[in-house]
Amino acid sequence: MSARRYTIEPRGLASARVRLMVPLLSVLAALIVGAGFLTLTGNSPWTVYSRMVDAAFGSGRGFAETLVSATPLILTGVAAAIAFKMLVWNIGGEGQLLMGAISAAGIGILMGDGVPAVIALPVVVLAGAVGGAFWASLSAVPRVYLGTNEIITTLMLNFIALNLMNYLVLGSYSPWRDPASTQFPQGRPIPDAARIPEFFHRLDYGLFVAIGVAVLAWALIGRTRWGFELRIVGDSSDTARYAGIGVPRKILGVFLLSGAAAGLAGSLLVAGILGKMDPRSLDLGLGFTGIIVAALARLNPLAVVPVGVLMGALNNAGPALQSIQVPSATVTMLQGAILIFAVSGEFLIANRIRNVRKEEVPGLPPGEAAAT
Amino acid sequence: MEAVPAIELTGIDKAFYGVKANDDVHFELKWGEVHALLGENGAGKSTLCSILAGLYRPDSGDMKMDGTSAAFRSPKEALAAGIGMVYQHFRLVPNLTVAENLNLGHPGLGIRISQRDMERDAAHLGERYGLGVDPRARVWQLSVGEQQRVEILKLLHRDVRVLILDEPTAVLTPQESETLFRTMRLMASEDRAVIFVSHKLREVKQVSDRVTVLRNGQTVGVVNTADAEPRDLARMMVGRDLELAAREAGEPPGEPVLEVDGLRIPGERGLEAVKGISFRICRNEVLGIAGVAGNGQRELAYGLAGLRGPTAGTIRLLGIDITRAPVLSRIRKGVAYVPQNRLGMGLAPGLSTDENLGLKSYRWPPFSRGPLLIPGAFRDRSEILIQEYDIRGVRPGLPIRLLSGGNLQKALIAREVSQEHHLLIARSPTRGLDVGATDAVRRLILAERKRGTAVLLISEDLDELLALSDRILVMYEGEFVGEVDADEATREGLGLLMAGHREDDQ
Repeated sequence: MSARRYTIEPRGLASARVRLMVPLLSVLAALIVGAGFLTLTGNSPWTVYSRMVDAAFGSGRGFAETLVSATPLILTGVAAAIAFKMLVWNIGGEGQLLMGAISAAGIGILMGDGVPAVIALPVVVLAGAVGGAFWASLSAVPRVYLGTNEIITTLMLNFIALNLMNYLVLGSYSPWRDPASTQFPQGRPIPDAARIPEFFHRLDYGLFVAIGVAVLAWALIGRTRWGFELRIVGDSSDTARYAGIGVPRKILGVFLLSGAAAGLAGSLLVAGILGKMDPRSLDLGLGFTGIIVAALARLNPLAVVPVGVLMGALNNAGPALQSIQVPSATVTMLQGAILIFAVSGEFLIANRIRNVRKEEVPGLPPGEAAAT
Repeated sequence: MEAVPAIELTGIDKAFYGVKANDDVHFELKWGEVHALLGENGAGKSTLCSILAGLYRPDSGDMKMDGTSAAFRSPKEALAAGIGMVYQHFRLVPNLTVAENLNLGHPGLGIRISQRDMERDAAHLGERYGLGVDPRARVWQLSVGEQQRVEILKLLHRDVRVLILDEPTAVLTPQESETLFRTMRLMASEDRAVIFVSHKLREVKQVSDRVTVLRNGQTVGVVNTADAEPRDLARMMVGRDLELAAREAGEPPGEPVLEVDGLRIPGERGLEAVKGISFRICRNEVLGIAGVAGNGQRELAYGLAGLRGPTAGTIRLLGIDITRAPVLSRIRKGVAYVPQNRLGMGLAPGLSTDENLGLKSYRWPPFSRGPLLIPGAFRDRSEILIQEYDIRGVRPGLPIRLLSGGNLQKALIAREVSQEHHLLIARSPTRGLDVGATDAVRRLILAERKRGTAVLLISEDLDELLALSDRILVMYEGEFVGEVDADEATREGLGLLMAGHREDDQ
């Protein structure tokens, strides 16, 4: 009797090949599933995909737009990656980004014209980081000292930040609202001195700030004492306590840094392509997409950069699809599919599926082995 | 003619991932008796009970209830057949009342439920068995002892005929234990059967009719409690010893290194775990702390390492008061600590061997310069330690959890003893290791003694304690119940002390 069946067993350690191939194949699988949907809705997957590639990478201008979209995603991706790696479930990147944008615009408007760029630009950009860190602190402090659940608090603070932004521009005559806009309310532009210069179509130097932050985060975690302590805390908080590391302060620190990175994404938008904090021109969902970016990058801050560019390309391809009568929501669906496959792929990195004969299963009655 | 036994188990085998927890176990339970299941940790008591209660299925062997074959696929089936178990971790719904918990999952429960009827039944049941609990109280408001009563009432409400209590007295005060024993006797007098799992000899002696002793997953013997001397039971429970590295007469103990006076340390659930103990350890001395797990050993180790603050007493290291010193300051002053659960505390399983070996020295040169780590220094140190302590299977850059248990332990001890230290605290350092690794670890500890370190060896393994210690203190319920010189100690004597027989009882 050939009683063959499959068991799943932990893979001690995945080889580099497996760790690289699984995410790539996850993206491929998502594209295949997406192709199925496109076919069902009467579109040619080939046309749609080639159109998307063309829009994202086909021209200098398209590539610049891809990188413009990628800039905030790299930062929100880093924000999620460093937090998740330490088991801090900060899903408030969205709200922290918005607070960063509000703070950056607020400082810019407060300074007004006449402040030289060498001062105005760094102040506005850093204000975003401070604003994001402040917003994160509203969840981080209760988490660390009272044990509240940061998933809930960060999530709820996203909505508060969103409504605050809307209120400041759409619902009140706050300093953030442009007094010159009489027809529709709009955000008040920040001084030109605080704007980041563009160098390639709409692409500005903010991209390098984002990449710099990713590299810095990587170096901080891998090459410093502080980062070593963080990795110990993330791996086993009991061991960290045992080694004399102050766990609460480490968690607080990484939480605030995560918020600062997300807030920086907001200030780079305000000081970059937007030039103001305006609810209508600020893309929503960048903070949440950052979580997808971090997951696909397997929480490695360096890997966040290429993954951020990939997600930026997808975002950028959306509008291009509408010109061939394909809903731009297709892109959202593809992003979702990629995330699902990537997360499922994680399982294959951690475990292997083996085809075994029944007798080989050590010490497990049939019912239990089948259930695992 | 002999009455048909309530339960008869023959040749029960149960393995978990190749490790035998029950190996050809035989067990017979009669109606109307309280039957104690005695054995050390890991002897297979809980596995056997879980098989009876339908939680696990045996790999092989027969089970008969009332003379007919029985096989339970789930606790629900076992409960339907009249077998119920009170686990060490309670399975109650904290937000529901006592009466609601009693009726939860009860087959007689209809769609409409009457709070008043439920409460009345609960009160009657509690009164009858001497297990009074307010039926309207919510479970989270109850003490641990009361929650245990609810667990028992829940099973009585289902009219179980076989009640299994897995180490029930571990969470009870002596007075609560007495009440529980009366309830157990009452149930036996109603021709039900009670299985009482314990490793406390005194309790076994007090409440049971017969005792089945398990060791290493096997049945060692069945005796009538009345005929059994506690020392015989202790010997049956702990077994014989095997030859491994042992202490030789060495340097006489030197100056005192650790002086503990009147130390009190809180445990879980607000109970006090260490209740005012005093001792001292000198250079070139191994002080063994014997005791059954859960008698305050963990809290003692935590208290000395700085992981849990004492409520009273003082700890002095080389004359300096470190009672309130944080962990880091104790590491600096020379406290080395080998915790019991290597991968849970002591090592960071996901980090590399290099990083784990530097877990306590990374703060200082050459491992770091200012805020920056120097990876080369980690690598150099780790190469030396791997060589010196014969740590095998290390692959550079890969997580340390891939090493075997023995090599993990060697790595952990290597790190602890390779930096300047005066005191080494080791908890069950050879637990779960094979003979070769056990021997290696014992040698490391003896080498420490020779080198002048004061060693505190906290262990449940009597062989280990007798082989390595100069003196042995026995800990029972947070206090020292006896001190013996290792040369005069016998495992029987220690076994009695560990089970709570004070020296003056004898």
